Amino acid sequence: MSALEAEGLNTFYGKSHILFDVSLKVEEGMITTLLGRNGAGKTTTLRSLVGLTMPRTGSVKIFGEDSSRQPPYRAAKRGVGYVPEGRKIFAHLTVEDNLRVPLERPGPWTIERVFQTFPRLAERRTNKGRQLSGGEQEMLSIARALLLNPKVLILDEPSQGLAPLIVKDVFRMVEQAKADGMSVLLVEQNVRASLEIADYAYVLDHGVMSWSGTAADLVKDEERIQALAGASAEEWSFDDDLSTKEAEAFSHQPSTVA
Amino acid sequence: MLTLVLFNVTNGLILGMFYVLMALGVSLILNLSNVINFAHGNFLALGGYLTFVLEPYLGYWGALLAGPICVGIIGLIIERTAIRRVYDRDPVYSLLLTFGLAFIIQDLCRTIWGPNGLPLSIPNALNSPLSQQFFFITGYRIFLIAVVIVAVAALFGFLTYTRVGTRIRAGTFDIETVSALGINIGLLRSLNFAVGIFLAGLAGVLAGGQIGLNPNMGDDLLLPAFIAIIVGGVGSLTGTLVGGLVIGVASAVTSIWWPAGSEVIMYILMIVVLLVRPRGIMGEEGVMT
Repeated sequence: MSALEAEGLNTFYGKSHILFDVSLKVEEGMITTLLGRNGAGKTTTLRSLVGLTMPRTGSVKIFGEDSSRQPPYRAAKRGVGYVPEGRKIFAHLTVEDNLRVPLERPGPWTIERVFQTFPRLAERRTNKGRQLSGGEQEMLSIARALLLNPKVLILDEPSQGLAPLIVKDVFRMVEQAKADGMSVLLVEQNVRASLEIADYAYVLDHGVMSWSGTAADLVKDEERIQALAGASAEEWSFDDDLSTKEAEAFSHQPSTVA
Repeated sequence: MLTLVLFNVTNGLILGMFYVLMALGVSLILNLSNVINFAHGNFLALGGYLTFVLEPYLGYWGALLAGPICVGIIGLIIERTAIRRVYDRDPVYSLLLTFGLAFIIQDLCRTIWGPNGLPLSIPNALNSPLSQQFFFITGYRIFLIAVVIVAVAALFGFLTYTRVGTRIRAGTFDIETVSALGINIGLLRSLNFAVGIFLAGLAGVLAGGQIGLNPNMGDDLLLPAFIAIIVGGVGSLTGTLVGGLVIGVASAVTSIWWPAGSEVIMYILMIVVLLVRPRGIMGEEGVMT
């Protein structure tokens, strides 16, 4: 059974048709990545899956149970943790209060465990969300989703706007989530990096699913990756903040990240 | 002179207490649900009348709590059946709905309890003034201030220390994300609405003991409540608290030297605050929802 399964989603913003018959599956215990250029409809797909934007037609199943046109809290109750684009932390609440918001589903993740796993957040527990750096905010956003004790983790561009070293941490967290038994759906601009850790990949183009298959197959398709990555291919070069040596070590041996 | 100043400051504080209770309720509902509740003053009156009805059965102390709880439950029912339907619509819908609701509740009160004032009796122990000189400081006024302080402290404690309260605060910032984190925001908004209406009911009971009950008793408090929210800063409950007290005391102190200006001063204060600090005394940029 798939952890998440969408069939024929058609989603609109007002009169604009955004998604055209989009279907995808997130297999249990695997990392699935959804790729596409800016404005391809990736975020809309995720929002349709969790119910934040209701698709006009099509169905969504969470572990085989129909979840179409249900409010977002239902998806969360069934074990879908969502890390939204732009992190969406509660800027006026403290770190600890941010962590007290999610529904308490039974499971290994507690606020104490979050503080053990992310010592940086423990240090900043009384700071307001807006006082955190981008990386800390991303950690908080992921930790908040983990506190739901999700079976499926959906991440929308978690590396956006982060320094390369922090990006490495974020990808390590995603791999750890898989190791902990979660199914992951990852949306990323960072094409090569996500393909390194993903098992399956989907490519979305102008609201249409244009390619699907194993990540290994997509890696071989250099032309498609070039087209997908476009300007964002540069993200992976790590020129900005890292020394060339560190950057090379990371970009050539991403498997050591885990 | 000292007595005169004290007399007016006390009056201002009492008035400020009513503004605070009203404004906190309006603010809670506005922040989480984006609904400006024009019927809030009428819920206040309804709270007073329900206490009046319950008092013979429960005594003053029982009715003091039961009246606001009953009006809170009525608020909850109205939210579940009517107000929730306009959350996702243009704000004009909620304005029209609560405006209509205000008339309905007011006429209901007038039909049931009559257009004339009714006295809400308070225990004798609370009736006597503290001393001859400070005749205006009655036991009831001290009791009233104490009840408001306890209610406000309880509200802030609830919002700060409970998970539900934390979710309400988070929801004022980004209700969608709260929903994606597994929280039934429909229920959260209902509960929040009921708490806001409870505060209006409590203000009604307390005002009833001071000035008696009449169907329009909440009307004069609604506008100052909005001003308190604007002065304090939309989105900030602490700001609302400060705003209510500031305009209450300001209008009372003004009445010492310029009696006619006691109401105008609120508007002048609001204009000054908006010019100097448009987001209000404690409002934060971007928090307004």
